[in-house]
Amino acid sequence: MQLDQVFQALADPTRRAVVARLSNGPVSTSALARPFAMALPSFTQHLGVLEACGLVRSKKKGRVRTYELTTTRLKAAEAWISMQRATWEKRLDQLDSYLMTMKEGQS
Amino acid sequence: MNKLMTYRFDSRLDLLLERVVDVPRELVWTAWTRPEHVKKWFTPAPWTTVECEIDLRPGGIFRTVMRSPEGQEFPNVGCYLEVVEGERLVWTDALEPGFRPANKVIDPAHDCGCTVFTAVITLTAEGSGTRYSALAMHKSEEERKAHEAMGFHDGWGAALDQLVAFARTMK
Repeated sequence: MQLDQVFQALADPTRRAVVARLSNGPVSTSALARPFAMALPSFTQHLGVLEACGLVRSKKKGRVRTYELTTTRLKAAEAWISMQRATWEKRLDQLDSYLMTMKEGQS
Repeated sequence: MNKLMTYRFDSRLDLLLERVVDVPRELVWTAWTRPEHVKKWFTPAPWTTVECEIDLRPGGIFRTVMRSPEGQEFPNVGCYLEVVEGERLVWTDALEPGFRPANKVIDPAHDCGCTVFTAVITLTAEGSGTRYSALAMHKSEEERKAHEAMGFHDGWGAALDQLVAFARTMK
């Protein structure tokens, strides 16, 4: 499992758009590529990055390759950052109430 | 007037929290920069800060020791990068005092969600109060290691559930 790869994969706007699109369900390569003004080889490279880190997986049926989201990776990245957020929220809550006692102590 | 460094916020790796408090800026600054005050609030309860050492200048030490409810102690050593009185406080645990690169090992047995980070605290006066922001920037490689230490590389589901439950207890 390579979370740094997940973050790196999501650092790119094209790949984020693909992930957003796939959140509604599986989509074929050609349909995925259509909104993007780039050559198909460049676009499939982006899909390769997403697949390599496990964010998406693909299946080939006949001549059509379909991509879908594997949600666990995304959730893990989110969970880690929410835990950090919870720590900071709590820390600042404690700071704010401590500040009030400092202020009262001064006056 | 000196030109302060600007910091880029990356929504996938960083956290940005902003608060407005009805407390003068000098007091907020004091709460962040004096060990006797930092000890009172820095670590989310039920954990506590049992030690705090501050040498308030770039390269100066910022060290805390957190104690778990079970009595286990976790030292944290870093150094300040930017100290602008009343305005800006930046520190990291990626560097030891004197800017020596830290040799961090994330030990699964001592995992407390500690990873390498840089924190940027910015204060501005707002009326008689203070607006302050806390930016925590993270390094993805360390996050990956911390994740592996938590058992994410196998058994994603269970670890994730535990993590979410843990995060809830911290709120």
